[in-house]
Amino acid sequence: MATDTHPGEHHGHHGAGRYWVIWGALLVLTLITVVTGRMHMPTFGLMLALIIATTKGALVALFFMHLSEHQGLNRLFFAVSLLFVLLMLAIPLIDLGTRYRYATPPGSQYSDMQAIDIGANAQQGRYGGNQKKPTSQEQSEAH
Amino acid sequence: MTPSSSIAAPGATPAHEEHHDHHPSYLVDGTTIKSWLLTVDHKRIGLMFLFWVLLFFLVGGIFALLIRLELLTPGPTIMDAMTYNRTFTLHGLVMIFLFMIPAIPAVFGNFMLPLMLGAKDVAFPRLNLLSLYIYLTGAMLALWGMLNGGLDTGWTFYTPYSAHTTTTVAPVLFGAFIIGFSSIVTGINFIVTTHTMRAPGITWFKMPLFVWAIYATSCIQVLATPVIGLLLVLVTVENLFGFGMFDPARGGDPVLFQHLFWFYSHPAVYIMVLPAFGVMSEIVSAFSRKNIFGYRAVAYSSLGIAFVGFFAWGHHMFVSGQSTFAGGLFGVLTMLVGVFTAIKVFNWVGTVYKGAVDFKTPFAYFCGFLFFTVFGGMTGIALGTTSLDIPWHDTYFVVAHFHFIMVGATIMAFLAAIHYWFPKMFGRMYHEGWGLVSAALIILGFNATFIPQFLLGNNGMPRRYYEYPERFQALNVASTAGASLLAFGFVIIAMYLAYALFYGRVAGNNPWRSKGYEWLTESPPPTHNFVGPQPTYPEEPHFYVDPKKAEVPDAV
Amino acid sequence: MQSSASTAGAPAAPVPRLAMHFASLEVQDNAARLGMWLFLTTEILLFAGLFICYGVYRFLFPEAWAASSRSLDLTLGTVNTVVLITSSLTAALAVHYAKTGKNKAVAVQIFLTLLMAIGFLVIKYFEYHHKFEIGTLPGRYYFYEGIQLPGAPMYFTVYFCATALHGLHVVIGMVVLAFAMVRALRKGDFGPNNYTMVELGSMYWHLVDLVWIFLFPLLYLV
Repeated sequence: MATDTHPGEHHGHHGAGRYWVIWGALLVLTLITVVTGRMHMPTFGLMLALIIATTKGALVALFFMHLSEHQGLNRLFFAVSLLFVLLMLAIPLIDLGTRYRYATPPGSQYSDMQAIDIGANAQQGRYGGNQKKPTSQEQSEAH
Repeated sequence: MTPSSSIAAPGATPAHEEHHDHHPSYLVDGTTIKSWLLTVDHKRIGLMFLFWVLLFFLVGGIFALLIRLELLTPGPTIMDAMTYNRTFTLHGLVMIFLFMIPAIPAVFGNFMLPLMLGAKDVAFPRLNLLSLYIYLTGAMLALWGMLNGGLDTGWTFYTPYSAHTTTTVAPVLFGAFIIGFSSIVTGINFIVTTHTMRAPGITWFKMPLFVWAIYATSCIQVLATPVIGLLLVLVTVENLFGFGMFDPARGGDPVLFQHLFWFYSHPAVYIMVLPAFGVMSEIVSAFSRKNIFGYRAVAYSSLGIAFVGFFAWGHHMFVSGQSTFAGGLFGVLTMLVGVFTAIKVFNWVGTVYKGAVDFKTPFAYFCGFLFFTVFGGMTGIALGTTSLDIPWHDTYFVVAHFHFIMVGATIMAFLAAIHYWFPKMFGRMYHEGWGLVSAALIILGFNATFIPQFLLGNNGMPRRYYEYPERFQALNVASTAGASLLAFGFVIIAMYLAYALFYGRVAGNNPWRSKGYEWLTESPPPTHNFVGPQPTYPEEPHFYVDPKKAEVPDAV
Repeated sequence: MQSSASTAGAPAAPVPRLAMHFASLEVQDNAARLGMWLFLTTEILLFAGLFICYGVYRFLFPEAWAASSRSLDLTLGTVNTVVLITSSLTAALAVHYAKTGKNKAVAVQIFLTLLMAIGFLVIKYFEYHHKFEIGTLPGRYYFYEGIQLPGAPMYFTVYFCATALHGLHVVIGMVVLAFAMVRALRKGDFGPNNYTMVELGSMYWHLVDLVWIFLFPLLYLV
């Protein structure tokens, strides 16, 4: 492999073999997640799938994208973006988990109403202003 | 963090133009139209942004005056209700997306950031130019949509109404989506510039405070704008195809829309106001002839506001049906923003204290700014209190509040920046007397416009209504009169600045004797910002008084 | 940053242009990488909006979510995952060869990546086509008799929005990589000092892969 020094290059070189190893690991993890996903484990299922996905994502980011070799600053920005994603996910979920039951979307497991209770099929009051009723009827509304 | 740019390899920089004796300023270095439209010089791009931003400010201002005229009488005055809905929507959209978000970062950030960092340009000059054209493309699309039917949802385009209205939602929102790219590109450019282009000697804590503010702003732009981009596309798709993402009849949650919307739009307030804080940190130091008080506190509080500002969004949603627990949580987080803002206010006042104040136009705007920030901020704390917000929600109290803190502070800083950096940008001076007169008119006009609105809101007048009861008329007339005064002030500014542009007295390199790094080069600067070898930046910015020496102000 | 920057421009390989406003080539490269990472950050937050819609509606409609995700074709999804992961490998190898100046190999690897990208899109097309036939479509277009649960149309709203946005990114990534391939063939000037274009294009491609790595289990498996 390339052994000549590269000026201005702050990360070292390594053979292509490393990429193949990562690729193999990714395929194995994919296999595991498919097999475990098919079992439809009631509580762990999502957790396990997300842990595997995070591991795969970390492998891709660190080695394929060379995050492990780039400046620390890049890792910081990447980590901050993930932190914001988590917080952005957590807060709406906290809101929904603690919300007044009648303020949750009808039909959901936290609501006592069905979509029809709020006039979903009545076609009245939903098309205010000069909006016309859609010509094609709702094909199949879940209720 | 990265001392990257301190590895200045002298041989690596191509020697250029060293045989010239005279270096033309960026204004006259190339006079063809093409040399402006295809320039990659950050200063020219900043000026072009200034032109467009001012144009859109005019458009938004005309919409504002139309709204105020309509509200002059309780019934219909000059337009029908639908036109009124469109007018206030367009006022909001133009002012927020086309004026206030790019106003200070894209104009003064572009112009000043490299000068303040001792760099020859921003990190990605071509992306910088691209950002201008993305902005114009989005603006044109949005304006085309506005002229062909307009949008009547309010600038917040809440679902489900925005998914059902027959007005032209799609082009306007898609235009706003495109403008978002411009904002992201500018943000990325400024962050990378700050990290990699600092001249030798400018460490993180020797950066001017304006740079800190722009850096924090850019972080918000990078982190928040993609979310509104996605949301704008989702709403456009909703409107065109009806996928039901936020439609309660199909199990959708409109409150989720509001969560995503305010995840951007609340930090967007700090995109508008943080650069204003940065401008004012520069000006208060320069015109008090005194070192900035508590440099690190001001710098850190910019980052603090940027971070905490992300987690206060739910205070826009206290009555939306979100849970009371989330409401309480957001109420507390909102107070934290107040803490960081208060740190800044304290430090500005501490800077003026025992300074040798030079009461020029920028300082006049600083005084107005301080008033609007404190008054607007305090009403913000009040509105962030859940129990108080419920009666005030969607009344004119809220309108007046955000015009004070967001518009008032930003406009004051924008005008202060124009006056402070006018000699830097154009090499000429404006007329100081007219400057002070118009500053007084604008500050008075602004108060006269919005203080009646505080009272109206407190009396229960809802925002966005077309008609109102007779008993509100007196205050509405007062507000409209104030808006006219405000407009008059802007006309005066436009006139004397346009005059100064061509016939103003030549200012010299540093008419304010400011210590800001941007004044170390010529005014107006040459094309690559400085001539010859890299200038050195030995002193801290805002260095007016040597603290070791006697407390003599203005030891210049 | 151990190696000295002053030797930048060693004659071993074609030297890229140093823009006049950068202090050195190293700074220029770091700036490009930092800019790309920031851009990828924005992409992550763009997709995050859809992941949040997914999370919230999954929280609200767990049964519809479980039933609908089982109606997807897991085999096609798995094949697509393998295709995309492999295309990521070839994209990474392209960067590797670009660093060592083997321009032919760069072009070959990118070509393989593009082939797999097309394969991904073709499989995606068949999946979409099947859904249009049986009626598992978003919102008001839903007409599938098999699953009649509240929230099932919402699942397909999220499914279509997420996969369509991802598909759009696949196309953009293909365009970016195609440019790099053309350059490797026409100019052939990638080398130890000049591989930023391939590197950034490949980073974008890995991001597309990264998003799919999360979309796949969330949509198909749980």
